[in-house]
Order: sequence, then structure tokens, then C-alpha cells
Amino acid sequence: MTVLESKLAPKVTPSTENVIVVRGLTKIFKDFWGRPKARAVDNVSFEVKRGEVFGLLGPNGSGKSTTVKMLLGLLFPTKGHIEIFESSPRHVPTKSRIGYLPEESYLYKYLDSDETLDFFGNLFDLPPQERKQRSEQLLEMVGLSKARRRQVGEFSKGMQRRIGLAQALINDPDLVILDEPTSGLDPLGCREVKDLILALAKRGKTVILSSHLLSDVEDVCDRVVIYYGGKIQAIGTLNELLAAPDQVRITAPILPRETLEKVLQVIRKDAAEDKIRIDTPTQNLENYFLNVVNKARAAEAETSGATSGNKVAAYLRGGAEEGAGSKSRILERLSKAEPELAGPAPLVNVTDVQEFQNKKLEQLTKNEEPVPTRTPDQSTEKTKKVELEKANEKLSGLLGKPK
Amino acid sequence: MRRVLAIATLSLRAAIRYRVVLVMAVLLLAAVIILPLVIKDDGTARGFSQIILTYTLTLMTALLGFATLWLSCGILAREIEDAQMQMVVAKPIARWQVWLGKWLGILVLNAILLAVTGAAVYGLTLWRADKLPPKELAILQNEIFVARQSAREELPDFDAMANDIIRERLKSNPMPEGLSLPALRNIVKEQLKSKNSLVPPGFRNQWEIYAGNPAKIKNLPLTIRVKVDPPVPGIETWFQTHWEFGDPNTRNQFQTNLLVPGELAIEFKIPANLVTENGILQIRMDNYSEKAMLFPLEDGLEVLYRIGGFGPNFFRGLVVIFCWLSLLAALGLSAATFLSFPVASFCTIAVLFVCLSTGTLKQIVTEGGIIEVNPNSGFADSPSIINQVAVPVAKALLFTFNLARGFSPIDSLSSGRAVTWGELGRAIFQICILLSGLLAAIGMLIFTRRELATAQK
Repeated sequence: MTVLESKLAPKVTPSTENVIVVRGLTKIFKDFWGRPKARAVDNVSFEVKRGEVFGLLGPNGSGKSTTVKMLLGLLFPTKGHIEIFESSPRHVPTKSRIGYLPEESYLYKYLDSDETLDFFGNLFDLPPQERKQRSEQLLEMVGLSKARRRQVGEFSKGMQRRIGLAQALINDPDLVILDEPTSGLDPLGCREVKDLILALAKRGKTVILSSHLLSDVEDVCDRVVIYYGGKIQAIGTLNELLAAPDQVRITAPILPRETLEKVLQVIRKDAAEDKIRIDTPTQNLENYFLNVVNKARAAEAETSGATSGNKVAAYLRGGAEEGAGSKSRILERLSKAEPELAGPAPLVNVTDVQEFQNKKLEQLTKNEEPVPTRTPDQSTEKTKKVELEKANEKLSGLLGKPK
Repeated sequence: MRRVLAIATLSLRAAIRYRVVLVMAVLLLAAVIILPLVIKDDGTARGFSQIILTYTLTLMTALLGFATLWLSCGILAREIEDAQMQMVVAKPIARWQVWLGKWLGILVLNAILLAVTGAAVYGLTLWRADKLPPKELAILQNEIFVARQSAREELPDFDAMANDIIRERLKSNPMPEGLSLPALRNIVKEQLKSKNSLVPPGFRNQWEIYAGNPAKIKNLPLTIRVKVDPPVPGIETWFQTHWEFGDPNTRNQFQTNLLVPGELAIEFKIPANLVTENGILQIRMDNYSEKAMLFPLEDGLEVLYRIGGFGPNFFRGLVVIFCWLSLLAALGLSAATFLSFPVASFCTIAVLFVCLSTGTLKQIVTEGGIIEVNPNSGFADSPSIINQVAVPVAKALLFTFNLARGFSPIDSLSSGRAVTWGELGRAIFQICILLSGLLAAIGMLIFTRRELATAQK
């Protein structure tokens, strides 16, 4: 599964150095006469360490964007204290270390892609050669190299998000603040953005991700804070927040009925019948969709819109990348069909695991044969192809034919 | 600097891509080309200059002025409202640099439009001038297509004179009833001014005008420009006069008799080298007519001499207009830092009108207040808090406005007077540096202190 793959990729362990410190942050919006109108953020405190992917999660209007805007100095706190790289958010030189993608594409519609990146590069005082080089790499990365001369005003929302993302990275920032980065993006784009976030984190960059899409946050974040009504409702690492300590899941390839029965017998000794569940996992729509698109891409179908990003810009990959296993291939690797998804595997859910003895578990796994690497035979390949084509037709009907 | 230039270039790009430049250029060119064709001049050199230079340059300044206000309000307020500004200020650029970049962008735009339109007016003027009758063309060449230095008599300090007179009179007489001291001072001052400019029938008036450095005006024929107001406006009046120029104690004098029309300025030449070694030209005039002559204090009598050509003078005149436009751009941008686009446009246009019509402010200063003005005396008799506040405020506003209004490049160009380098330097200092600087400081301060993420739609 992609998520698994991503999480297995070696990541830089977040350091103890604080990039962001927020203490008792409160924002009250007032009306013209200075009367309090809304308490958007209420006594919020958190820290973000270097190299962390930190998620701000919450429903619409919960105070995520207000927090982000205070972090950027676009709004001023009513109370509380913010430190970014040990400076105030309004300290201008500190901003050269920050990349920001707002929740909407607030771009200049009369500029084309190249001019947009050149303009923002100028604001970072980058020399012309460097601006040109980075622009080219970024446009390539976000899949807009064919639309470099088109005005941003003509772009679809997804394409605008892509160019917005490119401008946020033009300075090779140490801290990237992404407000709803996947809104308006197609599944392929979403995946690319998530991969990019992981690639950045791997290079020791700090990423703040604000989103109301749970999958975005779950896929990439180390730690999350959950907002509701301007207050922090929960904060912690995903493991801390999501682990169900009273359950265990075993995933295996298709097992003969007898083997399955044996396993269940062993389990029934320690868990009640109604707490055990066996099912066949299905692949999710995102992965399926990616398969279809990859297939179309392999057939070199023409598109007038954004193409899939090819690789993370070289200057963003940096030197650390090489040692850690080419991050530039992350997109390719992740968008390929993954072997364990090719066939369904039974899933066993066991509850009340407190009483489950480790010894027995070890024994159980030892008894199992090693999971074979699945090499689909011709007949399954054929069936899969037919199924894919059927589903592709359905999707085409739903989303429109690829241009 | 790269950051400021990036903002300036962006503003220019916006103006070009949204076709503001094209529309403005077409509009301006149409105005300066079509207007003189529609309004026929009377075939005289002065009528020609009035239409070709005064009207077209005034129209050009007005169009550019309003466009500048509108554009400067829009270029910042719209970006704040549409939230593009959030993307910009999240980058390492100080907000004052954003303001400065926008201002520079508008200045470059104005410079381009002014250059194109100015060149059109200049070319058209020279082209149309060839069609005038030879006599009028000669007048045009001598009186308008030149840059002439103008010298006037230095006015006495009427305030000090009025104070002296009042002090003397109050020693022996009581204060007149129903009049305050400021009101009395104003009355005496007006009397002194009238006395200074009035020449009753059969009387002689004398002027001593510093014409300039004698070495510089040696062998240079001087032009005398006379403008007389009749006692009753609108009546066609002629005045029989006798003029003497030069030191009466020497033989180096020039005398002439002249029939001077009322309300219409005339010019005549006098020989060179009549000034004293201090550069003073002494002038005496006898009023032989039966009516009193009134020489306006500002431009009743002037001594003019050529100091340069029309081309450079025209250029300097345009630069003064450019200074005004830079001030309007600063006004618009500063208003846009805290007001929405429509409100900022409305407010700045209102400010412009107040600035252009300073009559009310002058009246407040002259009458000594706004309320309780005595209809008989025309002055505020009793001191009230409102009047005590209104007068200094009006004075301060007048002073401020006059820093920008104290230049008249269009008048100078259409009457052949020089817009000197000194005057140009003063315009740049007073308008571009002092006034625009003040507005810039206010605008930058507000822009730096305001929250930008609250204004978006």
C-alpha cells in the first residue's frame, strides 16, 4: 500500500530544535467599533520541531487558517506569543526561510507560469540564473513545463494549485507552510503533493500542513493537532492518537481453508468468537485511479492540462537525497502498482489482545510459510486487464474522456 | 532593490496587460490632437497659445491626474482585497518596499504616458504654428516660443506695515467699536494693497525692479509686460500713459507714450543696458487718462528677458507636471493602504477637489473663522473655539496645498515664461520629496501596521 510504502521510506528523525513555538495564542476578530466578533483561535499552544511534518487538522472554520496566517504575520495575535526560527513572524529576513501556499491560489492572473516564478524568485533576491534554473525545475516538477507561457488566469484550479506550490518552494525553504495543499487537485496531483511533502521532510525540512482532509494528514504527518472551535482538542503523533491498543491485525495472502481454520482455532482460545473478523481487503479508489492514469500515460495520451510531475526539483532534493535512496524516484515508485495490492488477502481482526500472549503470536508466524512475492500469471493478468478496462470505462463516463 | 524593482515591474505589467496603458495613451493622444482641431483659435499668436498649449496641457494633466489616482488606489487596494498581497508580504520583502515599488511602477507609467503625450503636444504646436500669418508667427516666436525670465517688484510686507500703522493710531485713538484687532489689521492691510496697486488719474507711479545680474543681462533688450485692471470690470477701457525707464539722475533713460488696454496684457520692448549697476530697473509711469489704473499685485508689471529656448522649457514644464502626478500617486497609494478601492478613489478625488479650490480656506483665514462672521465688517468678531481651531487648520492646509500649487508650468509655457531649473528643483523638493514623502511615510506606516488577511473577499 502506498501509505505503508511512504511510511517505510527512511525519514529524518525530527530534531529537538524548535522551528515554531506557539504559546497561548488567541485571535479575536473585532468589528469596526472594536467589539469582539469572533474568537477564531483560543489559547492555543504547540511546538514544531525541525524536520517534522506537522498537521493542523480541523473542520472548516475551526481556526487552522487563522493560525497559519498568524504564523506568517498576515494577522496579528490578540494574545499570546509566536516564535519562528526564534524570531517574530513579522521579522522580514526570517521569511526568506519560509515557503507558503495559501488555501486559495492568490496569484496574478495576468502573469504566465514563468513570470510568476520569476517574480516570486525576485522577492527572495535570487540572481537571474538561479531563478531561471529553479523555475524550470519547479515547472517540470509540478507538471506545468508545457504551460509555462500560458497566463495563470487561464489555468484550472488544479493547475493554479500546482503553480502555487511551485512558488512556495522557489526559495528552497526550511519551513514550508501549506494551507489545504491538495484542494482542487486530481488524485494524481494529491499523491504528488504528499510525496513531495515526504521528500521535503526527508531532507530535514519542516512542513506545516493545514487540512480538513483526514487522508492528507494521515498519509504524511508525524504529529497533528486537531482544532475545533478555535481550541486544540487533541495533539500528538499519529501513532499516539490512532493506535488501538486493544486490537491487532494480521494480513496474509490467500490461505487454504484448512490453514485458516487452524489459525482461527488457535485464536479462539484467547478471544471470543464475536470479536474476531475475517475479510478481504479491497484496494482504495485512489490507488485504482492511479493505475488507470499510469496506463493511459504509458500509452502517451495527449493532455492540454497539467501533466504529472516528473521528479522533485534537483535543488530541493539536495545532497542528502542521494544517500537516502533517490527521492527523485519517489513519485515513480509510488505511482507504480504495488505488488501487495495486486491480489486480495484475508484479514483477521483479533480483539482483547491484552490477553494474547506474545509467545503464541510468534509461534503462529513461525508456522506460516514465508509470504511469496506475487508474480501474476497470464490468466490473472488478463482478468485484471479486463477489470481495469471496465472500471476505466466507468470512470471515463463519470469524469469525462481524457483530452 | 531587486525586490522593489520586481514590485514596480509587476505594477507596470499589470497596467500593460489590463490595457490601461493602451487606453490611456489613445485617450490622451485623441484629446491633445482632437481638442485643438475642434476649438478654432482666433488666428492670433496669443489665441493660438491659449488653445494649443493651455487647453491641451491642462486637459492632459487632468486626464493623467485622475488616471493616476484611480490606478494608484486600485493597484494596491485590489491586491489587498483579492489577497495576492498575502503571497507577497509572506516573502522577505518589507511592506514599505512594496509601497515604494508600487509608487515607482506608477511613476514609470506616468513618465511614459507624459512623454508620449508631451511629444505629441510639442510636435503639434510647432506644426500648427507654421500656419499662422507672418506677423503673428513673429509674435509667437518672440513671446511664446521662448523661455523668458520674469522679474517683478518685490512686494512690501503688508502685515508688518499694517501693524505699524495700527500701533501708531491706537496711541492717539481708541479701538473702533465692533471691530476686533485681526479684523482691523485686515482692513488696513487691504487698504495698503489697494494703495500700492492703484494709480489715480493724473498721478505717477514708480517701480524699482531687480531685473537680474547686470553682467548677465548686459546688451539684452528687455520686454515690459503690462496688465491693467479697469476700475469697473468688463468695460472696454484704454489708458493714455507715459513711461520712463532708467535712472532719472542720468541721461541713460528711455521714454515712450503708450495706449494701454484694460484687462489685456500687452508687451513692448525697451533698449538694453537701462539697469543700474545693482541690476535695478527704475520705472515711472504717468496716468494721463481720466480713470484710475489698477495694477494687479501678482502680474501688473513684469520685466521679461530671454534666457533659453522653448524646447528645454517645455521639458521642464512637463517635469513639474510629473511631480504633481507623483504626489497624486502617493496620495492614492496611501489611501489604499487602509481603504477599499472604491472608498479610496472617492476620498482621494475629494481631497484633490479641496486642494484645487482653496478659496474657502483662504476665506476662513481672511475672515478669521467659519462661524459668527460679522456681515458688515466681513470678519469674525468674537473669538470662539471653532474659529480658533479652524483658522490654524485652514492656514496649515493652505500652506501644505500651496507647496504643490505654487507652480504654474502651464501658464508659464503658454506665456513664454521660463520654468527655471531653480523652480524645477524647488518643485521636486517640495512636491516629490516633502509632500510625497510625508504621504509615503503615512502610507507605509499604516500598511506595515495593518492586518492583511482580514480584507479579502
